[in-house]
Amino acid sequence: MIPEERPFVAPDKYHELEGVQKMLAACIQCGTCSGSCPNAFAMDVTPRTLWRMVLRGEKEAIFATRTFILCSSCYSCTLRCPRGLPLTEAMGALKQIASREGLAPYKASTRFYASFLDSVRRHGRVREGEMMSLYFMSMKNPLLPLQFASLGMKLMLKGKVGAPFPTRGKRPLEALFNKVMQLEKNP
Amino acid sequence: MSLTEQKIGRALVVGAGVGGIRAALDLAQSGYRVTLIEKEAHTGGILAKLDRQFPTDRCGMCKMLPTIKRDAVSQHCLRRGLFHENIEIITGASLLALEGTPGNFSARIQENPRWVDADLCTGCGLCEQVCPVEIKNPFNQHMGLCKAIHLPTPHSIPNSYVIDTTACTRCGECEKVCPTGAIRISWQDRERFRVLVVDDELIVRSSLEAWLSKEAGFSADTAGSGEEALELLGTNSYQVMFLDIKMPGMDGMEVLEKAKGISPDTAVVMMTAYATVETAVEAMKIGALDYLVKPFDAESVLPKVNSIYEALQLSTARKLDVGAVVLCGGVSYFDPSTGKDTFCYGASKNVVTSLEFERMLSSCGPFEGKLLRPDNLKPVQKVAFIQCVGSRDIGLNADFCSSACCAFAVKEARLAVEQSNSQVEAAIFYMDMRAYQKPLESYCQDAREQYGVRFVKSRVHSVIADKDNNCILRYPSPQDGSMQEESFDMVVLAVGQRPAKASRELADMLELPVNEFGFIKTLPFSCCETEKPGIFAGGSFTGLKDINESLICAGAAAQGASLALHGAGGSLAPVAKAIRPDPELLRALPSVFIALCTCNNKLGRVEDEKALADKLKYQPCVKKVHAFERLCTSSGFDELVEAVKKSGANRLLVGTCLPHLHESRIIELARTLKVDRACVEVTDIFAPANRDGQQGEPKGLSGSSEVLSILLSGIARLKRVRPHPLPTIPVTQQALIIGGGIAGITAALAIADQGFEVELVEKGQRLGGNLSWIKRTIEGLETAPLLEETLGRLEKHPLITLHTQAGVLATTGSIGSFESRVATNNGEHTIAHGVCILATGADEAPVKGFGYGLAESVMTQKEWESALEKNSQEASNLESIVFIQCAGCRSEERNYCARVCCATTLKQALYIKVQNPSSAVFVLYRDMMAYGQMESYYTQARRMGVIFIPYKKDCPPSVEKKDEGLFVTAFDPILQKDLCISADRVILAAGLAPELPEDLAAGLGIQIDEHGFFKEAQFKWQPVESATSGFFACGAVLGPRNISESIASAKAAASRALALLTKESITGGRISASVRPSLCSLCERCIEACPYGARTLDTENEKILVNPALCQGCGSCVTACPNGASVLEGFLREQMLETIDAAFA
Repeated sequence: MIPEERPFVAPDKYHELEGVQKMLAACIQCGTCSGSCPNAFAMDVTPRTLWRMVLRGEKEAIFATRTFILCSSCYSCTLRCPRGLPLTEAMGALKQIASREGLAPYKASTRFYASFLDSVRRHGRVREGEMMSLYFMSMKNPLLPLQFASLGMKLMLKGKVGAPFPTRGKRPLEALFNKVMQLEKNP
Repeated sequence: MSLTEQKIGRALVVGAGVGGIRAALDLAQSGYRVTLIEKEAHTGGILAKLDRQFPTDRCGMCKMLPTIKRDAVSQHCLRRGLFHENIEIITGASLLALEGTPGNFSARIQENPRWVDADLCTGCGLCEQVCPVEIKNPFNQHMGLCKAIHLPTPHSIPNSYVIDTTACTRCGECEKVCPTGAIRISWQDRERFRVLVVDDELIVRSSLEAWLSKEAGFSADTAGSGEEALELLGTNSYQVMFLDIKMPGMDGMEVLEKAKGISPDTAVVMMTAYATVETAVEAMKIGALDYLVKPFDAESVLPKVNSIYEALQLSTARKLDVGAVVLCGGVSYFDPSTGKDTFCYGASKNVVTSLEFERMLSSCGPFEGKLLRPDNLKPVQKVAFIQCVGSRDIGLNADFCSSACCAFAVKEARLAVEQSNSQVEAAIFYMDMRAYQKPLESYCQDAREQYGVRFVKSRVHSVIADKDNNCILRYPSPQDGSMQEESFDMVVLAVGQRPAKASRELADMLELPVNEFGFIKTLPFSCCETEKPGIFAGGSFTGLKDINESLICAGAAAQGASLALHGAGGSLAPVAKAIRPDPELLRALPSVFIALCTCNNKLGRVEDEKALADKLKYQPCVKKVHAFERLCTSSGFDELVEAVKKSGANRLLVGTCLPHLHESRIIELARTLKVDRACVEVTDIFAPANRDGQQGEPKGLSGSSEVLSILLSGIARLKRVRPHPLPTIPVTQQALIIGGGIAGITAALAIADQGFEVELVEKGQRLGGNLSWIKRTIEGLETAPLLEETLGRLEKHPLITLHTQAGVLATTGSIGSFESRVATNNGEHTIAHGVCILATGADEAPVKGFGYGLAESVMTQKEWESALEKNSQEASNLESIVFIQCAGCRSEERNYCARVCCATTLKQALYIKVQNPSSAVFVLYRDMMAYGQMESYYTQARRMGVIFIPYKKDCPPSVEKKDEGLFVTAFDPILQKDLCISADRVILAAGLAPELPEDLAAGLGIQIDEHGFFKEAQFKWQPVESATSGFFACGAVLGPRNISESIASAKAAASRALALLTKESITGGRISASVRPSLCSLCERCIEACPYGARTLDTENEKILVNPALCQGCGSCVTACPNGASVLEGFLREQMLETIDAAFA
């Protein structure tokens, strides 16, 4: 047996995780969430293991997994959890921490979300072509568009995706966005 | 004493499940009269449906029947029915109201209408043959079919038919064929029942009118507005009004208020949309009877109207004066089709509940005991059991463990394997295997090793039915957490317990508080005392109990009720004086009077009565043969007495139906005729007819009639009877209690409070036992006040003699008259006593391994508790505490679960977290035995941040001492890695070991079990008594248990002991064995053969002695005796041979 490098440290010394830990405190590790999750096949650790890591406060390990970022918020786990825990909310909270801290493994996902919202902010709705362009620009990877080229062409031919160039919109939701930002700063 | 002050020596027991039966029997055996009421048409409760129980895998319900004074009760299968001279059973009845004070309650009991008169129904089954309506069989959990008129259970005695009034079409066919006129479906009565429907919507009015008049047969009128309704109410009288709440103009509430003025007797049912349910509830407060939520259909309305009809028109209420009430209403079970239902229940036929599976295993179940898949009736090959369905589920407001389901599932898995000759593969999916009952640990091991049952520690997430209707289970692998899919033929859901429907009604009516789950609340440290003095809750009524615990709780409730009756001066039932048999009778020639009951000419239809009588008269000893119309009525009874007296016969043979039913009447008959009970014989002459379903023509009398044979056998038995006075042995009305812990003290007080002397022997200097170190319970109750209060009462009690620093050396004698030698500081004493209660308790077991002894900071729970006692701040400067469960038990050495340690750990972990929230607390466990309501503390501990890590028996955590301190290493199966925890304290759950030295057990002559605990006569059915009569046990010496469970067992043991102590002498049974010394060769084979230890060898007089109180008349000794020296009264050799001859005549 290889002892762990670092002896255990009480979980609540990680303040950012405290809220998530509180949400999950009554968890009995039954694994119903993992069984319910339609995306579990793609995850590197199951939701059950993730919750265990959260409760043990293993910050580094948690933010090295792809589990929470793959959550599509279908709420199956929340519905079926015998302890009635807000699991989807907990996944969301982890996403928020990852996004706020700008953690490297989640750069693509975080920026994808950001591009989506940027487009919404400009026009009040998403313009798919524009969103993708914003995403490509933020990722600063000239080869990235090639990965999406074949899908993009198909969608364009069917008229599902419009002009790819970002345009200045009327920004109808500006006030709403500002308010949310303000609330996030001073909750 | 004036009549109004006279106290009633009668108790009311509500609910005749096993709990109710236990309480009723205890009270009846103590000499009180008992009225036992039951809502259903049969006794036995849920156990009527369960054929076999853990741990014997057999039924043993009859073990509850009393062994002393056994002639008071019919000694036959208790599942079929209970007949005790002091117990009156009313089925189909419920408690409507209760007024008064303890000792002087007045109860109103409502008897539901009977469409089939139970007194007249002979269970012949003709009605069932003609009934055209088929319904799902309620006895088989709605699997399989039966008729609308059906037997409620296949086995009850007497078994009278019942009608499902909602399904019945009232075609009247059964009424026509019933030979005894027992069925009464009054169609005309229903027409006279008038219903008014008030609604502004035509569609509601017309459909309700059609359902009520065309389908249900009532007279229905309609009104379109409130005004119209009030007008109609003024002119006609209506029994029920269906009233819409939201109507234009005058609304429902206004109509209701006015209608109450015009026609106050009309019952009003409000009709409401979902949005206005609150208004409907308001309406009920101002006098509405009930409400219906729209939209509704005929299936939901008609049962409601039917029940109102039955309640208003047909039910009869009777008043009963009782001194105490015991509520044994049982529990109901979670319906998995409600709620989330991810297990496919209801969608797939192959997913069943544990109760349905139990019926499938039964030989009288839907598949006659063959284990078949419900969808295609092919044999089942693979069955999965899913635990915790509707338990341990916060989402369903079920933050509790139902306690009984684990044992239930293991039993069903074992039975499934056994019944299929190991063709069935069984797997149990569980979260924690809560095998906390004493025999269950090894029972589970047997299931695993001998029956091949697979135990999978994993919660099944969902069940999916595939195209062939196989059940696909999805669950995380217990090894690595990866998702597994496995196909099974069938899935059995272990449905959790819920409060019985009656529970809320009774709680409302009696104003008893309930807990957050709806179970009746009891007082602190008590399992049975409710907030209302004189009202007790017994059996599983308070929820979350198994049979063993239910029966203990029922016994405790009986003790409480008995004390309430006694304290109020309640009189005992009068004991009839025994009639001394006339010595002349033995010399006189037998002359038999034969009384035949024709049962409303039923006999005439199956037998040629005259020819029968002629044939019987040829028998030389027959004095007279007389036919009576109906012997079961009181006039028939008087007629019989008259005729027998006139005839001058000295023996009476009655040919009628169901002889065991009439036991109490036979005793009464013998008393009235002033003859010995043995001279009256009752025989069932309708058995052949009932068996053959009364088909065929009268057989005439060709000499081969079965009825004749039955009667001739009866004559043969009567001819040879030898009436003899029943032997009695005196009872020393004093109890010896060994052990002065809380259980011993409670038992002593319970007995002394009833007016009997108690000698309490304690080996230590002080009383209190484990309460000296357990300072508070997990519920937060302080133990000191409890101990202080009980000790205070004990010291002041004039009837209790205390011997401290004393021990019992040996006990001689037998039940009723024991003598024990007791060694005390000032020499040896001899104590005479009638019963002995053992309460020597248990102490923390010694620990080996788990780092115990490495450092002072590795300690047991008891040591930690003492450390806290010395310094309450002990926990506040600790950063990391590790609890290790099962450190002394559930191992080869002590192969049982100590049951209390998980709760103790939870208590201590919560205490630490409250004192020092920043500390890290870990619990390393195998299965958290947080049974019953302990589960909510388990949840609370998790909520407060305690980390629970499961470990396996073969991979225990290791404790190491390094320079930096203690380190505990354990494998986390979820993270799939070893965790190394630095610990300031390691607290070991050592478990409990019994304090019952072998020499004490040997000196007393009682058995101890393989773990060293007191061995009960039967774990389930006789939980507090020894196989050696006269010995009882309570507290932790029975097996590990917590304080309130110990107190409950003490009261239950006292209750059983009081059944004996209240008698000055015990009379042996009518059928008991004796020895003819002249033929006896003293080979002692009978001593070995006797299963009750009733026989001893008197070496001085060279005789075999039979203790009449112990002999149960089983006859084992008679078959063992090579010389015919052992004889069983009532089954003499010549009597038996002649009876057999007659049967073949």
